[in-house]
Amino acid sequence: MEPWVISTTLIFVYLLATIVIGILANRKGTSSMEDFFLYGRQAGFIVLYLTVVATFHSAFAFLGSGGYFYRHGIGFWMAGTWTVLVGAITFTLGTRIWALGKKFGYITPADLIADFYESETVRVIVALVSVIFTLIYIQVQAQGLGIILSVATGDRIPFAYASLLLLVVAAGYLMVGGLRAVYWTDVIQGIWMYVAVWAGSLLLTYKLFGGPVELWRRLAAERPDLLTLPGPEGFFTPGVWVGMTIALSFGIILQPHMMIRYFTAASARTLKLLGATTPIYLMTLFIPAVFVGLGGALILPELETPDRIFPELLTTYAPAWLTGLILAGATAAAMSTLDSILHSNMTVLTRDVYQRYIAPERSERHYLAFGRWVVVGLLGVGWVLTVYNFDFLVTLVTLSGVGALQLLPAVLGVCYPGRRLTTSAGVVAGICTGLLTVYLTQQVWPQPLGLHAAVWSLVANFLVTIVVSRVTRPPSEATVDRIHGEVERFVYGD
Amino acid sequence: MKPRRSHFIPRTRAGRIATIAFLAAMFVGQPPVVHGLMNRIEPWILGQPFLFLYLLVVYVLGIAVLIWAERKGV
Repeated sequence: MEPWVISTTLIFVYLLATIVIGILANRKGTSSMEDFFLYGRQAGFIVLYLTVVATFHSAFAFLGSGGYFYRHGIGFWMAGTWTVLVGAITFTLGTRIWALGKKFGYITPADLIADFYESETVRVIVALVSVIFTLIYIQVQAQGLGIILSVATGDRIPFAYASLLLLVVAAGYLMVGGLRAVYWTDVIQGIWMYVAVWAGSLLLTYKLFGGPVELWRRLAAERPDLLTLPGPEGFFTPGVWVGMTIALSFGIILQPHMMIRYFTAASARTLKLLGATTPIYLMTLFIPAVFVGLGGALILPELETPDRIFPELLTTYAPAWLTGLILAGATAAAMSTLDSILHSNMTVLTRDVYQRYIAPERSERHYLAFGRWVVVGLLGVGWVLTVYNFDFLVTLVTLSGVGALQLLPAVLGVCYPGRRLTTSAGVVAGICTGLLTVYLTQQVWPQPLGLHAAVWSLVANFLVTIVVSRVTRPPSEATVDRIHGEVERFVYGD
Repeated sequence: MKPRRSHFIPRTRAGRIATIAFLAAMFVGQPPVVHGLMNRIEPWILGQPFLFLYLLVVYVLGIAVLIWAERKGV
């Protein structure tokens, strides 16, 4: 049997397993919206841990990070900074979001933010930002999935069809089993991707170099530019380093698929433990990516698409059965994030737009059916973006994070009581200014003074939010007392 | 009920220690420290280039602070 047949068969076996899990989740779950959208708010530590790490790490970590190490060198090891920061954000901000969600029954980020600011404009803007910028994230995963399957099959399944096929599978088990299916598949995917990326990386490192120490020695001798900052192309400047740290920590956490995970936790203790321990998984997954990317730069230096480095090395140097198992792990990494984003966008569009403004007071069954159609629509949009707008995976994820980052002042205003209040007008003005700044500092004048768009946009957003909030009407005293009072009780007791 | 004090400043001793320690770990993992003093291949430690191992230690310290804070009930 030809090697590509073996590896592709193993990937398809994995896909079949995810569909079976989706069907089992459907039988176990109830037909309520809270169960379909929020797992009944009963996710325990292990399930939540694996779904958070599997969702956070995606095609971006499995393929994109290898590509970035390959091209820009050791600078991408900065990834460890934002993984640790994500733990701290979960520990502090995540627990507050959970407490408010449990008390007031929030399902989406817009529920949380609009309730405090008493504004439908804020709700619509938050929902739009949530959906638009995570569409880019759908593209990242579909692009990664297309790369995996097309490389595994030796381009016998073209990139466009490969990405479509895997999008359909992820959307399929999500539509059948809701968030329960997403969480159950994430448990398997979280374990599989971790084992796969370490196994694949170590295998290649020992086979090609005789181990990590020898790999480092060869790099120092042949490509020392890959071992210091700012890297061969001068990419990792201080401004980019700080900007990516902010965008890929706060920015990713503020995306709906991550915030919704906070709402689903069984307890605050679960979330604190999660915050303290998830960086162990998240950070250590980048270590094998260092070996793959930097080792690949020595072995296959002329690769046209650096994001393909891991599957290219595997298909060239690893046995077919192992390549299949590892690429199934890569598929797991992408699909576990993809299904979560599809789910969160389905939830936001159904709950914040359709149920609220278009068809209120329908049955839960009606909204669940609508949500499933939303998934089909998102799938189509994501696929078109994938086929017609190909870019670096890390670049796309960063842009997605920078967009969601604009919600930070609004969320802090809700979850962190202070002496001065932020207002709905301040938040709207801040988000709009932040997004405009993203456009200007990303497209018109890229990285002024060497600073990343994340830094410029966040500074502009905070300044405008603070200034406008000083001169506009704050939320009513009753609402502030209700929500900030709950935060006070939760954090410090009565 | 209006909150008496800002939530941006920790009120407990353990909270203050955890915040300062975590911010310190973040600071030494950012520019200018990383791009200046620590931006070097040598000295090699345990067969690893200096910058790689330095950042690994910084990340482990950050995680250790988080685990300590969780154990202390911050």
